[in-house]
Amino acid sequence: MLETKDLSVGYGRKPLLEEVNLHLQPGKIVTLIGPNGSGKSTLLKTIIGQLSPVRGAVLLDGRPMGDLPPPEVARRLSVLMTDRVHPELMTCWDVVSAGRDPYTGRLGILSPEDREKVWETLRLVHGEELAPLDFSQISDGQRQRILLARALCQEPEVLVLDEPTSFLDIRYKLELLSILKDMVARRQLAVLMSLHELELAEQISDYVACVHNGKIERFGPPEEIFTADNIKKLFDIRADSEELFVFHGGKRLRCGYTTGTCAALSAQGAARLLLTGMAPASASLTTPKGSSVEAPLEDCHMKGSAAFCSVRKDGGDDVDATHGLLITAQVEKQEDSGVSIEGGAGVGRVSKPGLDQPVGAAAINRVPRRMIEDTVLSVGEELGYEGGFRVTIHVPGGEEAAKKTFNPQMGVVDGISILGTSGIVEPMSVQALIDTVALEIRQKAAQGHQNIILTPGNYGMDFLRAQGMDRWGVPVVKCSNFIGDALDACGAEHMREVLLVGHLGKLVKLAGGIMNTHSRIADCRTELFCTHAALCGADRAVCRALMDCATSDACIAVLDGADLREKVLDSLLSAIQDHLDRWAAGAFIVGAVVFSNQYGLLGQTWRAKELMDAWSTL
Amino acid sequence: MGLLALLAVLNLRMGSVRRPDQAIIWELRAPRILVAAILGGGLSLSGFLLQTFFSNPIAGPFVLGISSGAKLAVSLTMIFLLSQGLASSSAALIGAAFLGAMLSMGFILFISRKVRRMSMLVVCGVMIGYICSAVTDFVVTFAEDSNIVNLHNWSMGSFSGIYWDSVGVLALVTGTALTFTFLLSKPIGAYQLGEVYARSVGVNIRVFRVELILLSSLLSACVTAFAGPVSFVGIAVPHLVKRLFGTAKPILMIPACFLGGGVFCLLCDLIARTAFAPREMSISSVTALLGAPVVIAMMAVQRGRDRA
Repeated sequence: MLETKDLSVGYGRKPLLEEVNLHLQPGKIVTLIGPNGSGKSTLLKTIIGQLSPVRGAVLLDGRPMGDLPPPEVARRLSVLMTDRVHPELMTCWDVVSAGRDPYTGRLGILSPEDREKVWETLRLVHGEELAPLDFSQISDGQRQRILLARALCQEPEVLVLDEPTSFLDIRYKLELLSILKDMVARRQLAVLMSLHELELAEQISDYVACVHNGKIERFGPPEEIFTADNIKKLFDIRADSEELFVFHGGKRLRCGYTTGTCAALSAQGAARLLLTGMAPASASLTTPKGSSVEAPLEDCHMKGSAAFCSVRKDGGDDVDATHGLLITAQVEKQEDSGVSIEGGAGVGRVSKPGLDQPVGAAAINRVPRRMIEDTVLSVGEELGYEGGFRVTIHVPGGEEAAKKTFNPQMGVVDGISILGTSGIVEPMSVQALIDTVALEIRQKAAQGHQNIILTPGNYGMDFLRAQGMDRWGVPVVKCSNFIGDALDACGAEHMREVLLVGHLGKLVKLAGGIMNTHSRIADCRTELFCTHAALCGADRAVCRALMDCATSDACIAVLDGADLREKVLDSLLSAIQDHLDRWAAGAFIVGAVVFSNQYGLLGQTWRAKELMDAWSTL
Repeated sequence: MGLLALLAVLNLRMGSVRRPDQAIIWELRAPRILVAAILGGGLSLSGFLLQTFFSNPIAGPFVLGISSGAKLAVSLTMIFLLSQGLASSSAALIGAAFLGAMLSMGFILFISRKVRRMSMLVVCGVMIGYICSAVTDFVVTFAEDSNIVNLHNWSMGSFSGIYWDSVGVLALVTGTALTFTFLLSKPIGAYQLGEVYARSVGVNIRVFRVELILLSSLLSACVTAFAGPVSFVGIAVPHLVKRLFGTAKPILMIPACFLGGGVFCLLCDLIARTAFAPREMSISSVTALLGAPVVIAMMAVQRGRDRA
């Protein structure tokens, strides 16, 4: 398998990253995360042999990769890199079949088996209908899928991917990664990739490596890596820029501004220019959500009696179709007081009823309209101007960008919508993640399974393996913190038996009916321990000690001290079973198994015991 | 394709001189036809290789100044040999042309590292072409009178004045290059997806690049040594052939470009010979007249696509 040994990488002599020791394993995904410019891509390029190592070596089964003949390497390692390829007159089929090169003869003629393999991989990425199309004419998402098929067609043992999801819509990101994950499991691929989206990295990775300060700063399973503290350090987040980040899963992602915020910021700048004759360098305002944003203004100028200012849309870590567009506000004085807002070129127009704005109006929603109005009026007030404003929003290139959005289907034509209720773009919707979990459960159901094991994360996976429970032939799905949603999906897919296997620290929350175990939603762990301990006869001192515990393992230690472990766990487990039964509402049988890393198996609910007894004899 | 080439050959046999006696056909026209076909093929193949190498559809031996470099080297050699009272052998000329082509190519490669923009690369190539032409003219100005006529004819580009002995050398060199190129069709195909992916399917990029450079330079040098710099065949023909087949797969394109180039040059030579008979036009004028519009159309389409 692929490993790196004291590898230093960089351009020229100067290393950018030092002492990289990575070891890939079959069926495992290792993800590199880290800020831009930290050296993720350089590392990957060195590993695939595009750059020579500054020091150290990349080994394939213990032998330096540079010493192996290129065709042999090609049969074992394939890549999906960020380089844009625009080959002339190549169909998608041609591109995918290029992956067979290491197996074909001198002239590269495909055998019938090769052709079958090309079709097979095209099917895997749902790209059969793309086969005859010109590769340079398809969408970015389709192109990435085809390039993934090309890499898989090479039948490698190791797959290296550099930001495979960049520039894809969220839907395509999830699709691509779910294909990848499926492949890893099915073909026992070892995967090394870099990812921009932390949320996705947490979901998909078996191990995460943080690339920072010229080295792999941390390495471990996602549970250990994705703590707020780590991520803060990793991305050098300063306290004063806090409002531009959002917490998700206990970590912060860079947020951008919505098109509405951009429009309001540029309107503010233009109004100031109009009234003072001086172009401000930046504009700032408070978003409806209450955080303040500031953005530089571009291209401020007067034209006749109108002032123009622009703000470049920055989607933050959520790069969408509107990312990088200039949102321009044209502000003029008008006699009537108040503010009239119109949409210029590149701003969509409402063509169907039922949207936020009436048919025929510019697609600028209520919230951004109010933001624009508020901000220009406050500029007027500040500068002693009592008349009204006429604001026209333009988005150069908006018409083109809108084609990549859902606007045409929604009934917004000729441009993008100026949206944003919160004013801030949050990098990934939780819903999208729940959707991936549900999708996985649906896949298992479609494969004919009627029983399933759910586990919140990799600890659970390891536990299942250690207990030999992964050999029962019951499919396992990682459901993250979305226990309730995953159970709903099981119900919807007519699963008959569901076993939940999780760390005590997560599953104890179920005893309180908390079905999303994320610490942002609720904690309550010690409270639950404390209550159940009190019911089992613990005295005040024990209750106090339990309340002061930082972890559930510490709670167990306290209970052991009071000789109450068994009683309290039984009480908690029966509460968990009650809540699960209530949630399942008779649609399926569900039980739970809890363990801790320190104590191993702690116990199971009575339903779980039944299920396990039945499954182990399958 | 083979049929087309045959047709063109027949077409050419019906040449323009009034009394087509056996000797003229056999001694003058037949070698000329063969050479035109072989050289056209070589040139178009060289263009195809350069286009792949630079992943730029408007690359070609003439545009990149490689033909001109070869031309300069050949003129210098010719003048030197003639001034020594020696006849210039075809092997010596091919050698000189190859050297000149490699020098230009080296320069272009050096520049291609500095400039990332492909259009700039082409501009540089054209500039090299001008420099080489200027130096050639300069040399010609100072050459002895007797050499000039010969040299001038040659530097305008022509398939005339070629006899059987040269055909052998030419066929050998071009045939070898063609065979080698054909054997490289698999890595060439991989390279069309870019260097990274080519490497990932096991192409030894460094060796492959050297092979490509040597082959394309050899092919265009060979043409230049015999017929002078012939313009636009290298760009126009591969492009037309690609459109015709709707693919760029090298395993098909290599023979197709070679044949297509042959047909194109035969046609152009036919026009050059017969249009204003008995006066002959330079082959380069005809190829430019037919080839340049194709290139312009291609660039227009390319621009359109870039913007989309």
